[in-house]
Amino acid sequence: MKITINSKEEEIEPGTKLSEVVKKIREAKKDEPMIKSLIQKTGEDHIVFVLNGQIVRPPEYDSIELKEGDAIRWVHPMFGG
Amino acid sequence: MKGVWGKVLKVDLTNGTCTGETLPDKVYEYFLGGAGLAAYFMWKECPAGTTAFNPANRLTLAGGPMTGLKQTGAAKWSAGAISPSINMNADSAATASFGIVMKQTGYDAIVVYGRSAKPVYLVVDNGKVKIKDARKFWGKSAYEAEDGIKEAEGDDFEVLSIGQAGEKLVRYANIQTKKKSFVGRCGLGAVMGSKLLKGVAVRGSQNCKLHDPAEINRLNKEINKRLAAIDAERPEWLQIKRVGTAMATELFAPQGNLPIKNYQLANFPSGEKSMHGSNYSKELRAKPWPCQYCVLQCHNLCEVKEGPYAYRGKGPEYESFAMMGFDTMVDDIKAVAYGGELANKYSMDTISLGAVIAWAMESYEKGVITKKDTYGLDLTWGNAEAMVEMVKKIGERADGLGYLLGEGCKIASEVLGKGSPDWAVQMKGQEIAAHNWRAQYISALNYCTGVASGPNHERGNSQHIWVGHIRLPEWGIGEVGNEERWSWEKAGDRNAKFHDYCNIINSSCHCKFMEFRSYTLTDLLNTINGATGFGWSQDDLRRCGERITTLQKILNIRFGWRKEHDFKYPKRFMEPVHEGPAAGKIPIGLEGAIMDYYRVRGWDGEGKPSQELIKRLGMEEYID
Repeated sequence: MKITINSKEEEIEPGTKLSEVVKKIREAKKDEPMIKSLIQKTGEDHIVFVLNGQIVRPPEYDSIELKEGDAIRWVHPMFGG
Repeated sequence: MKGVWGKVLKVDLTNGTCTGETLPDKVYEYFLGGAGLAAYFMWKECPAGTTAFNPANRLTLAGGPMTGLKQTGAAKWSAGAISPSINMNADSAATASFGIVMKQTGYDAIVVYGRSAKPVYLVVDNGKVKIKDARKFWGKSAYEAEDGIKEAEGDDFEVLSIGQAGEKLVRYANIQTKKKSFVGRCGLGAVMGSKLLKGVAVRGSQNCKLHDPAEINRLNKEINKRLAAIDAERPEWLQIKRVGTAMATELFAPQGNLPIKNYQLANFPSGEKSMHGSNYSKELRAKPWPCQYCVLQCHNLCEVKEGPYAYRGKGPEYESFAMMGFDTMVDDIKAVAYGGELANKYSMDTISLGAVIAWAMESYEKGVITKKDTYGLDLTWGNAEAMVEMVKKIGERADGLGYLLGEGCKIASEVLGKGSPDWAVQMKGQEIAAHNWRAQYISALNYCTGVASGPNHERGNSQHIWVGHIRLPEWGIGEVGNEERWSWEKAGDRNAKFHDYCNIINSSCHCKFMEFRSYTLTDLLNTINGATGFGWSQDDLRRCGERITTLQKILNIRFGWRKEHDFKYPKRFMEPVHEGPAAGKIPIGLEGAIMDYYRVRGWDGEGKPSQELIKRLGMEEYID
């Protein structure tokens, strides 16, 4: 089934939990210099996940089964200048 | 059309006249407002040969269709003119409330030209306009001038003003408003000074009609809630409203993005320890000082209660920390904050100021200047007291080095010679900001090719593809690998898209910091459509960005740009650092990347817009 992740369409298996997508994104980002530094200093990457416009907190990731058309946004902790 | 008035105020300071001018809808469809409108008036009314301090220079203060929409980020407004540092068109943006209230006077923009015979300030009160005597404010700081104008006119006016540096034509003098927001780069404060215009006061209560007010309300609620909630999820030291952009110093360090010791070094441990988000709250007692409507609240009111750097006022942004701290090796957070606030009062851009002082420190280290030149100051790296004193000397345009440094490091190095141009980190007359080309090569490309305001990290903020993790999926910039930081593949296309994106942002008048907390191009498009009724697609939005960029390019050419200027990058671009995340990285291949950028843009081999491009954009009437 199709969902979007940061506006990009992705194909996933029916029954996929949000926690699986979160895990993939975290894995993909963990070696980026700033994320790596945050993990080393704080133990966390501080990426926030938003599903269909609502923030989802870590304890809820595993309880959410994704549906066709779901829109996931993940937001980096960065702020610039 | 809706969302704008369709009308601007023209102020002739030579003749002391003020008139309204109606603009055709096409001008807004093509250039939106803000920076686009500023470029339009330079195009329309500044012939070739017009220079920054010439009375014919047009200083345009402009809002856009997003100004005042009560959406987070909608306090933005832009100013534009021919810049005294780059000698070409330039624009810069600020927030607070000035732009919102200016729009409420019934005008989309104020266009000032001519030169007054004596210092004046302008008062625009709900459509009524007066030019008033400012002699009692001349010679005062920008903050004193704002206070004085408010006392004279009323506390419910929003005011912008310049300080002594603007009056005395420091080439990087800025314009301030509400003691917290600055039209920072390119010396537009000096343009005001050259016109003997000390300030502008606005008061208004009119709101222009929107195309779909219900949709705007809906968008505002959803967007404001979403962005605030995302920021609130962060730990305190990563929350924008706790530390503002100061958090960036710690986040940029692992990327090799900091400017250290005039861009010579990769690490500055004592600086990183001192100029750190949590220290910002602790040592400077930072409290949120938000712009109107903003839920992210990145501006801070800071206070140092005791000691030589005691002050209460604007907290330093990342760029101020970086350029006046890291770049000069000053690791005293209070001194950096105090020096920045001094610069604000004199009305000087802290980016150029920090770069110029760093250049002077390197010149001192290399014996090009000595204590005889530095007023007895030991202008060594990291000397906080000397850094602060030099801010005063430059702001006051003290005879000798202070005056020379007010010209910028391009002119200063040309005058001093002795090899000092080699360490002047500037292009086209403007100093490079605090985003290191070694951390991502696209920064070098951006600095070389930017047309909105010379080499400018926010006129084209493509460094944020990596540094700030900004994505533009609607325009084809999705996930990007870390290793692509040092690749030229796709750099031309990405650089072009970010130039156009920044032009849309600064012309619709929206704060691009919202993008760090999930604001998208879709949000932007929906809001512009809801305000104006344009009914645009993303392609239309991009095309508008291209038109603004193209108009700016036409202006660059008119005011003297030549292809070779894009290739005169600082010598330091090709000097590597030997440690840290960007060790050994220098942008070899930059020349080829510039040519590729021209090709992607539809410019010819000489960097000029092609006939084909002009036709595609429907800009035949704009080409010189």
